[in-house]
Amino acid sequence: MKYIIVFLIYCSSTIYSQDFNRIFLQANDAYNNGLYEEAITLYNKIILGGQHDSSIYFNLGNSHYKLNNVAESIYYFEKAKLFSLKDEDIEINLAFAKNMTIDSIDPLPKSDLLRFREYLFDLFSLNEYSFIIILFSWLTAIFFGLYLFNSKPYSKKFYFSFSLLSMLFLILSFSVSSLKSSIKKEEIFGIIFDRKIEIWAEPNLRSENLFSLHEGTKVQVLDSLQEWKKIKIANGSEGWIKEAIIKNLN
Amino acid sequence: MKFSTTNFFVFMFLFLSILGYTQDISFEAKASKNSLGINERLRIDFTMNRNGDDFIPPDFLNFTVIGGPNQSVSNSWVNGKRTFSKTYTYFLSPQKKGLLKIDQATVVIDDEVYKTIPIEINISDAVDKPRDPNSPEYLIDENLHLVTEISNNQPYLNQGITVLYKLYFKSPLQISDARESDSPKFKDFWSHQIKIPQLKVERANYKGIDYNVVVWRKTVLYPQKTGELILDPLTLNLMVDIPSKRTDFFGNRVYEQASRSISSGKKVISVKSLPESGKPANFSGAVGKFDFNVSANKDALKASESFQIKVKVSGLGNLKLFNLPKIVVPNTLEVYEPERDEKIKIILKGMQGSTEDNYTIVPKFKGKYPLLPVSFSYFDPELERYFILKSQPFNIDVYEGPVSSSNFNISNQKINSQTNILNKDETFRFIKLEPRLEPISRTSFWRSKVFFLLVAAPFLLLILIFLIWRSSIKKSSNLENLRQRQANKLSKKFLGEAKKKLGDKKNFYDALELALYNYLKARLKIKNLDYTKEKIKEVLMGKNISEKEIDVFIRVIKNCEAARFSPTSDVKMKSDFDKALIIMSSIDKRL
Repeated sequence: MKYIIVFLIYCSSTIYSQDFNRIFLQANDAYNNGLYEEAITLYNKIILGGQHDSSIYFNLGNSHYKLNNVAESIYYFEKAKLFSLKDEDIEINLAFAKNMTIDSIDPLPKSDLLRFREYLFDLFSLNEYSFIIILFSWLTAIFFGLYLFNSKPYSKKFYFSFSLLSMLFLILSFSVSSLKSSIKKEEIFGIIFDRKIEIWAEPNLRSENLFSLHEGTKVQVLDSLQEWKKIKIANGSEGWIKEAIIKNLN
Repeated sequence: MKFSTTNFFVFMFLFLSILGYTQDISFEAKASKNSLGINERLRIDFTMNRNGDDFIPPDFLNFTVIGGPNQSVSNSWVNGKRTFSKTYTYFLSPQKKGLLKIDQATVVIDDEVYKTIPIEINISDAVDKPRDPNSPEYLIDENLHLVTEISNNQPYLNQGITVLYKLYFKSPLQISDARESDSPKFKDFWSHQIKIPQLKVERANYKGIDYNVVVWRKTVLYPQKTGELILDPLTLNLMVDIPSKRTDFFGNRVYEQASRSISSGKKVISVKSLPESGKPANFSGAVGKFDFNVSANKDALKASESFQIKVKVSGLGNLKLFNLPKIVVPNTLEVYEPERDEKIKIILKGMQGSTEDNYTIVPKFKGKYPLLPVSFSYFDPELERYFILKSQPFNIDVYEGPVSSSNFNISNQKINSQTNILNKDETFRFIKLEPRLEPISRTSFWRSKVFFLLVAAPFLLLILIFLIWRSSIKKSSNLENLRQRQANKLSKKFLGEAKKKLGDKKNFYDALELALYNYLKARLKIKNLDYTKEKIKEVLMGKNISEKEIDVFIRVIKNCEAARFSPTSDVKMKSDFDKALIIMSSIDKRL
């Protein structure tokens, strides 16, 4: 019943976005004819219209890459990555875009535990996890019911253990997705759009100038103070930047 | 000479003899010079043509009398005419500069007082040395000069200036040899001496007089410090031919050789610092007029091939004295240390030519590499402002090679493997063609109300079903339960009775039989009327009880029936009772 409602909502939105699909195809044509600027305006029109998905961000990234806009193309590829975690196209084109950046940042080596956690996080999207949780909650209930209403001792044992197992999976998937959503909410990532920007040890100009970054670098925004922002980059370095143009990814 | 003086005397003699009688009395003052330096001396004569008495000299204010008065009298008669003159001579030295006045002197001649006219004398600055114009010293000083010519006395820091050392000389001097004895060391300057292959004598004007001139030394200097910088003097040792007083047999002057050193004197150059206003951030000290160009020798290549980027500055200025701007390239390009190539000629105006850095670059990965524009700034000292030149941005296309990424995790195995490099054939992927658009404003399904409802629903449903089942069972099985409980009770009751009647054959077996049947009624829900042995067996088989147990059960019932008609012992009764108990408990376990 509820699935049907969700499905109906989805259908209505697709009917509504029929117009946007046409614009999308127009933009694709423009891209293929080398009119990247035009393609970008058309894609942006769809986003302004309140519609988006992984492919539109991916195509925007491609268009900006063709125009040598380093920061923009990385920004849109990263954004596309948020939607579909396991898309090879996005990974490859993001690698191409990252080749254009000036800075070479080696990411910190991660512990096995952290890698496992990330593996679990990236296994499914939050929505997919939600459906998995629902699936296991139904399985748990059904098996428990079977256990209750069955009088044969063998099948009772069988159903009970299945019910326990699916409950375990239910708890596991629920905790993983709660953790994932809370971490995603805490961690704000952004892309630097400034051509070149200095990183300072403290949020004032008297402090030590630590290093400089160029456009297209992905940073994590940790803190902010007036026009200063505290950032962290993939190799673990932290510092303050002044009046930077950082476009947040989420 | 002698001839002319005799002539003059004859003339004077004749003249005076004519005027002899009519001659008036005169008294005059005469100075040897009307203008002189303060360190020079002056002779003044007071002359009268009649003998007078009571000569009173002026007080010579502002002068010191060094010699005199010397008196001289000349008296001559020519053709009966008498010529008389009496002179008082003083040697004076001025005490101060300016226009000084020598007052009147008085004398009494023939009872009349005669006075001289006051003389004004201009005293100027000290004259170098009041010298003998014929001495060799004087001749050298007057006719030989070593002059330093500086193109710009107030250059900017790093602005090129030219210093020329010129030797001026004129006749009657001749120079037979010249040697540098003390070369200037240009401290705080970058200096370059321009070689002069052959010294050439030219004609030139110096201070309004024509001289012969030789350019001895040409130096280009770039000041490296601001403030007052001192140029050390250049000293030359010269062999000079000087005309002497003697003449040779043909009446020509005999030249004497003299060794003489001459110095150019110290010069001060005040170097201005470059203006701070409008100084570009990346200014690296270039001063002059320049062109800037960045170019690559290829714009498309394979990975691991090399290409070169040339950063070139050309023009006129301190080309050797500043650093070229560095290029900024993406990190995946391997850049080697640049090779410096200088093509600089140093001319009188300064350094001219070009200097360039050649970067060899090897791309490691496939892709498109934009090279950001490089900017170069310089200061133009003539226009007195800074200029910023920017190179054109351009792309390098690497069309074959591996693609890289610092954090690839396309498939899950890739996370663990440390390799960053994908297949060689990876290309930039084309855009996606099929959109699956969804509204941006849509809230995520995770943690939505629907989500929680869907998670909780099965459990709620389960509880509901359980409750319904429980109540329905209660209703439907109330009657049956009652009957069963009664049968159970009866079975226990008859079993107890049988135990009591152990020994009383008839009653015991009756009670045991009833206990067994009631037990079956309670456990197996068999109605009273239809218990045949076959039925019992069938039902028990259906309840998953082994054949052996069923057999035991049936046999106990058979025993009960048979015992009524056959003799039996107490032992048999006891064993039948035990069997019945065992079989009942074993069936209890099974159900």
